[in-house]
Amino acid sequence: MPDNWGFVIAAYGLAAIVLIAYWRFLFRREKELDDAKDVRHQLRQESSASEPRPAQSAQTTQRGPIP
Amino acid sequence: MRRLLGGATLLGLAAGLVMGFVVAPRESTQGNVQRIMYLHVPSVWVAYLAFGVVLVASIVYLIRRAEAADQLAHASAEVGVLFTGLTIATGSIWGKPTWGTWWTWDARLTSVSILFVMYLGYLLLRGMIDDRERGARFAAVLGIVAAFNIPLVHFSVYWWRTLHQPPSLMKPGPGTMPGIIVAALLVNFAAFTLLYVYFVAKRARLLRLEAEAEA
Amino acid sequence: MVVVWKDLLVERRSKETLNALFFFGLLLLFVFQFALGPDRERLAGTLPGLLWLGFILSGLLGLGRTFVAERENDCLEGLLLAPGDKSAIYVGKLAGNLLLMLVIETILLVLFSFFFNLDIAGALPALSIVIALGTVALAAVGTLFAAMTAQVRARELLFPVLLLPVETPVLLATVKATEAVLLGEPLGSVAHWLKLLAAADVVYVAVGVLTFDFVLEA
Repeated sequence: MPDNWGFVIAAYGLAAIVLIAYWRFLFRREKELDDAKDVRHQLRQESSASEPRPAQSAQTTQRGPIP
Repeated sequence: MRRLLGGATLLGLAAGLVMGFVVAPRESTQGNVQRIMYLHVPSVWVAYLAFGVVLVASIVYLIRRAEAADQLAHASAEVGVLFTGLTIATGSIWGKPTWGTWWTWDARLTSVSILFVMYLGYLLLRGMIDDRERGARFAAVLGIVAAFNIPLVHFSVYWWRTLHQPPSLMKPGPGTMPGIIVAALLVNFAAFTLLYVYFVAKRARLLRLEAEAEA
Repeated sequence: MVVVWKDLLVERRSKETLNALFFFGLLLLFVFQFALGPDRERLAGTLPGLLWLGFILSGLLGLGRTFVAERENDCLEGLLLAPGDKSAIYVGKLAGNLLLMLVIETILLVLFSFFFNLDIAGALPALSIVIALGTVALAAVGTLFAAMTAQVRARELLFPVLLLPVETPVLLATVKATEAVLLGEPLGSVAHWLKLLAAADVVYVAVGVLTFDFVLEA
């Protein structure tokens, strides 16, 4: 019976292409999401770094009329 | 941790290739085309594993409503569909030189195709529901129905068509395949399982990141 | 409460749905005849398959509409918010659907035997068993999926896409069993198919009852 190496290569080649393509999709998407996450964290840090002062002044003015 | 898994996966796949091409002998009746089996059979086993995980994760989700369970189910279904598609494709490629035709309604190809469409429907359902919580719930129900359907599919198709070689690995008593071929199959199965775990872990993490991004 | 639901369903849907499905069945017969040509011999071999194709296609239409009335009259939210065991609703709807399907199938069977000149009198009791087993399987999953897809985009498309793959074992079993029955063979010869159908019925109804609560959550 002839060996049909062509078919064997076709099968393994197809499997390799599909699996590598999926892996690349996962890899790229993960990078996207990780970067977006880092950007969000940075923004949150920046906004919380600039918050305490206005919050303190709001608190002092609030405590004024009560006691 | 994931890097370790990735490395182990690559090693496993390499070992599988070595087993499939170097260690395993040239099969007597089919010739070297039979080596496609080292791709086709482990693929289908991993697909079943994946869908089994979908079942368990779906049940866990419905009982505990843990988002992680839902993400696991989703990821496992996706990877399962991937491997199912691969099973069909490799089976078809193997069939052309062996049976002379690209497609035949034999027991394994048919039942795997039904599985493929069932779980493709699962992914479609998920894609069509915008509400995250509702999507998770419905997908879980579908995941349970689909999984319980698998044995029904099996028996009905097997009785309907018996062209394909009977699943020799599952038969009780002495196996009909020489030990070295069985060994090669098992090594490849282990490698594919590692690949499955790697893919699912990554995919589930992606889903978690996406959920966080939306929150 | 379940009885009230069932009556409401049967009364409201029966006339319009039944008429439409009857007409649809008739059209299917025409379509089968035109698609497969006038050659009686060739047709005879495919009849069990055509019969169940007719059942399933009608079922897709009929079952898919299980929750249409609720959706159109904005009752769906009411259904979701209703307290208590939602599985009772499933059983009620399932019973209604079973009745609907059996009526349609009877009509189709009569039409088939008329148009294709089938003598089914002898096979009728055995045939009824096969049809009953298959219909329960169809309706059980159909009712569950109808509830799911009623709340989803592209519901008319998603319902058949989800139902058909799941029902393939049932289709295989019923066609094979019907074939045997129409050829005059005893039911015992297809016992394995009947057992499969019975198992499917039990599994589908059980899963339906157990998971319906999750489908109708608010």
